[in-house]
Amino acid sequence: MSDTVTAPIPSAAGRRRPLILAILAGVALALVLLGPLFLDRFSMNVLTRSMIYAILAITVDLLWGFTGILTFGQAAFFGIGAYASAMLLTHIGSSPALLGLALVLAIVVPVLLGVAVGWLSFYYGSTPIYATVISLVFPIVVTQLVYSGGTLTGSSSGLVGYFGLPFGLEGFFRLSGICLVAVAVAALVFVRSDAGRLLTAIRDNETRCAYLGLNTQRIKIALTATLAGVAGLAGFLYANASGVVAPENTGFVFGTELVVWTALGGRGTVLGPVLGTIGIDYLSANLSGELPFLWQLIVGALFVVMIIFLPNGLAALVTRFTRRGRSEVVAGGGPTLVPEKPLHHMKTASGPLLSIERLEKSYGSQKVLEDITLDVAPGELVSLVGPNGAGKTTMMRCLTDGKERSGGTVRIAGQDIAGMIPNQIVALGVGRKFQVASVFESMTVADCLRMSRAALEAPSFVTASDALGLPPAAIEILRLTGLDKLLATEVSLLSHGQKQSLELAMVVSLEPRLILLDEPTAGLTKTERTTIGAILKKLTSELGFAAILVEHDLDFVCDISSRIVVLHQGRLVLDGSVQEVVNSDIVKTIYSGGEHV
Amino acid sequence: MKMPTLFATVASVMLAGSAYAAGDGPIRIGVPVGLSGANSVVAPSVVQSAELAVEEINAAGGVLGRPLELVIADDASGAAGAQKAFDSLVFQKEVDVLISMETSAARNAGLPIVSRGQVPYIYTSFYEGRSCNPFLYVNAWVPEQQVPPIVDYMKGQGASKYFLIGSDYAFGRGMLEFARSYVESTGGEVVGEEYLPMDGTDWTAIISKLKASGAEALITSTAGGAPNVTLTKQLRGAGVDLPYANLAVDEGTAKSMGADAAGILISASYVTGIDSAENAAFLKAMEAKFGADLRTPNDLSVPQYEAVYLYKAAVEKAGTTDAKPVLDALDEVSFTGPRGTIQMSKQHHAPLTMYLGQVQPDGSVTVVESFKDVDPGEQCPKL
Amino acid sequence: MTLLLDIVTTAAILFIVSAGLLAIFGVLKIVNFAHGAWLTVGAYCAVVAGGLGLNPWLALPLAFAAGAVLGGVTERLIVRPLYARPLDAILATWGLGIVIGQLVTLWFGRDVQFTESLLPGTIHVLGTTYSLYRIFALGAAVVIGLGFAFLLEGTRLGLSARAIIMNEALARALGLDTARIRLVTFMIGTGLTALAGVLLTPLTSVDPTMGVAWLIGSFMLVMVAGSSFGALAVACLLFGGAQVLVSTFISPILGGITVAVLCALVLRISSKGFARV
Repeated sequence: MSDTVTAPIPSAAGRRRPLILAILAGVALALVLLGPLFLDRFSMNVLTRSMIYAILAITVDLLWGFTGILTFGQAAFFGIGAYASAMLLTHIGSSPALLGLALVLAIVVPVLLGVAVGWLSFYYGSTPIYATVISLVFPIVVTQLVYSGGTLTGSSSGLVGYFGLPFGLEGFFRLSGICLVAVAVAALVFVRSDAGRLLTAIRDNETRCAYLGLNTQRIKIALTATLAGVAGLAGFLYANASGVVAPENTGFVFGTELVVWTALGGRGTVLGPVLGTIGIDYLSANLSGELPFLWQLIVGALFVVMIIFLPNGLAALVTRFTRRGRSEVVAGGGPTLVPEKPLHHMKTASGPLLSIERLEKSYGSQKVLEDITLDVAPGELVSLVGPNGAGKTTMMRCLTDGKERSGGTVRIAGQDIAGMIPNQIVALGVGRKFQVASVFESMTVADCLRMSRAALEAPSFVTASDALGLPPAAIEILRLTGLDKLLATEVSLLSHGQKQSLELAMVVSLEPRLILLDEPTAGLTKTERTTIGAILKKLTSELGFAAILVEHDLDFVCDISSRIVVLHQGRLVLDGSVQEVVNSDIVKTIYSGGEHV
Repeated sequence: MKMPTLFATVASVMLAGSAYAAGDGPIRIGVPVGLSGANSVVAPSVVQSAELAVEEINAAGGVLGRPLELVIADDASGAAGAQKAFDSLVFQKEVDVLISMETSAARNAGLPIVSRGQVPYIYTSFYEGRSCNPFLYVNAWVPEQQVPPIVDYMKGQGASKYFLIGSDYAFGRGMLEFARSYVESTGGEVVGEEYLPMDGTDWTAIISKLKASGAEALITSTAGGAPNVTLTKQLRGAGVDLPYANLAVDEGTAKSMGADAAGILISASYVTGIDSAENAAFLKAMEAKFGADLRTPNDLSVPQYEAVYLYKAAVEKAGTTDAKPVLDALDEVSFTGPRGTIQMSKQHHAPLTMYLGQVQPDGSVTVVESFKDVDPGEQCPKL
Repeated sequence: MTLLLDIVTTAAILFIVSAGLLAIFGVLKIVNFAHGAWLTVGAYCAVVAGGLGLNPWLALPLAFAAGAVLGGVTERLIVRPLYARPLDAILATWGLGIVIGQLVTLWFGRDVQFTESLLPGTIHVLGTTYSLYRIFALGAAVVIGLGFAFLLEGTRLGLSARAIIMNEALARALGLDTARIRLVTFMIGTGLTALAGVLLTPLTSVDPTMGVAWLIGSFMLVMVAGSSFGALAVACLLFGGAQVLVSTFISPILGGITVAVLCALVLRISSKGFARV
């Protein structure tokens, strides 16, 4: 149940982008360095704080806007960083060495807790709402600990009167500004890098990520921990710049405020939340004195309206104008396709690639699959046929998720997959194409393909590569289907057939030894069907892949299969060559509507 | 103002102030106060009493020939809001002094800004004590002044076993910590001490413990307002009718509890029933100025009124509004107001006359006993 | 004995407070984060009823009506566009909660409001004197629970709601007016929540932020309970009991976060919570 809101994604293309970013960063740096010359003390004080909050908003944006994890917990990491600094400086003392230690603690402690929170929030099968739940509970627990901390934490009064970094007002303004610019630039570079696209991929379609061999849980835990560290750094800055830390800095109400600012500024844009936070926090410092309740009422109402009608925030108004081109099919452009040598060594080991023994799957007392035994060797193209409800898709699921089946064993390349989760099974050399094309709707064709290589070659955290290395077979699929001309086009604009072909290309890019395809030709035109059939034949007979195909179109099946397996009412009723199956009475009975074999 | 913005303009229009901060213009008194958040119940009464003081002083010719002007800012009853409010008052509005009733978190958040801006700050809220800063003066009570009258009275009524209940925060714990030591020093016994989080709503387990403890008297110190009302309702619902002293209830809150509040003992430096000419005149003036909008004056708003007069006296003694001489004068001047004669002469704190009151079924408070000039004890020995 | 009474009455109060949230989450799969605001609205209905000089018990139907009407408007304007975006629905309803809280503040002021006690006094049960109202709350929880059981099992609306819980697409295909059932469910949920707000007035202070303190607890309980009232009752007894035990034998401070932490752990172990019970 992931939200369907999609943030505008900058295309990977654009050579001028680093230059624009550098200019932008330069201007921003100049502003924060020269700001103290123009600003009065009040504005400087308020903006110092707003800029620290903006760093937090960036972390919320990376988690929520880009990755789809709605979090209220960043306030807690921020508070922990602030308290770690303030407690050290209050109770032990202040010296350059201790300040250094405070900085280290302010980052390390949140990171460790981030790992713990991440581990709690993200596990195979966890729901997005559960992560949100944890992000609510965490700050509540932290705040409670602060309250009951007595003199150690200062309880409700907070800590005050310690000696932090010896900077004046101007110094803190510049320091916070530099940190904000640095974090913003790092975030912008990261989200546009090849690795950064992973976040969007997870938000768009986490299942697909897992079936591309990506350990999405680990990625999300790493992201949570890293951003907890960034929030802790902001906490350190805050503790020093403001000279006070208080329980409300850790609370979930502050956490919701961060989300509100991020939402109003425009999630998924990095700059939107920064401007939103600075703007709203500065305004509220100026306005809330005069109209405290009305101000909150206005912010609350604006927030509701924005969530409903403009989920991508004010930034969407701007980007809607500047990014008009993105809503069109882009012919050409995108990265250059580079054929790569296969990374997997196609083992010609003896023994079957896939070996299923007495596989069973039941829901309660109802058995959906029973006593399935089957071996598949490299080079085979096995078609799985049978009427609706025969258990074909269930069987596919049991082959790619080690926790699905109720009985029996499944071995892939000799390894029992019991208890393994999809990304581990993919790592054994299995690729799965779903019945309904499972791709990343808000990303470009090229980025989708890049994702399928991410598990094989660690993507860069800094650059967006101009080249896209793919196995020759995948490139051929793209050529045959014309997708190679649409690399810079957003997937949501593709036709049904194009998405199917793209998904196939993505699966092939994984360099699997065994491909599972669930109705790859459903809804395709005759030509597209022929193309896909030819590709599949080539993959198996020439390149030595094994494939299992679920298919209804018997003509198509007969054309390409090397072997056909017939499932009926959860049992394997026939396993033989195309000739054997076509001439079998059993099959005729099943397909003519006979209820019993 | 270096950076005239729309908002500064709005603010100055609303406050009918002038754009000139120093010189012969008005003397500006900054009042950061919790217009929103936990303190927003009591804040209007605090603002009203400050307004009366300023009006009276201006009508009598001002201070050193200059009128006083109030600049109010919302601190949202918390640290983050207080920082904004103090920043705005000290650096944007450039006030000459800060006089305010605030939460401890807000006061602590404001203190670094006060130090940086070098502005005198008179804190007018009772609190858990021991907040020390060269710029800070306090004219309200601390535990050393409030708790002894209550315990002494309960002891006189024959109680020797006490149960303490509080909200888990600095004030709650600070008050009860002192109460425990005072009870024990006077030969009593504390048979239970329990806390609930500030936003806690379910006192069930604590009340059951209380009932099982054999306590003869109950002392509570919760956060003001909601937790206090919740605890009292649940105590009464459970049929608890021990002698019950509440360290955090004011007359207004007592009224909103209705019959549940009847019999509660309170200890305060101000109750409306104080029988003095100054108090009668003060109440009359408040009534006349605010009429139907009047918020009942209380132990948090009256010190605010008196603090404005104390500041006036200090400025007149110093002959200037400059921070240093005013700070030096603040512990030497005194003012006789509704609470009696106040002088912040004890380590930046003030000896106060304390009143032991009991809430009546109609919500009013009658004075049972008064204790003259109770000493605040060692609050800030280094100042 | 007191301990036992503490446990069952605490569970009963948690159940009363969470029932409305569960009704909405169970059928609509939407978390109404303005839940606390509805509790507040309900309690203020008691204040208004008191102000009009009505019998305090009349506040119950008044609150139910006010809550349901307000809920209807909310469903139509705010929740309906967000069924496909459950996380955004959390945010939008949270924003709505802020708005309602501020409106209540502007209208009634920040002050704690006085409400007449519904049932003062104590009663002798099981050899101990105990708060009469808490015993009454236990009865109220049972009535609400049975009421829902009847609504779900015995009425057409309940049948339709259960159909939607199981398979919404199929329910629509069968000709059920799912939009209307959602609306009615939302209204019942919010009406019930406002009613719970009235029932809370003898137990807590009535002020504009009173509901927020109950939000997280009931949210967590509902997450664990899924869409089943039976599971909610079990969860309330178990976690409410744990809260009382922790408060009594360890520390009331830990007791305050017991429900939230235990629910989170239960969900970590079994992502369906007690729903399969």
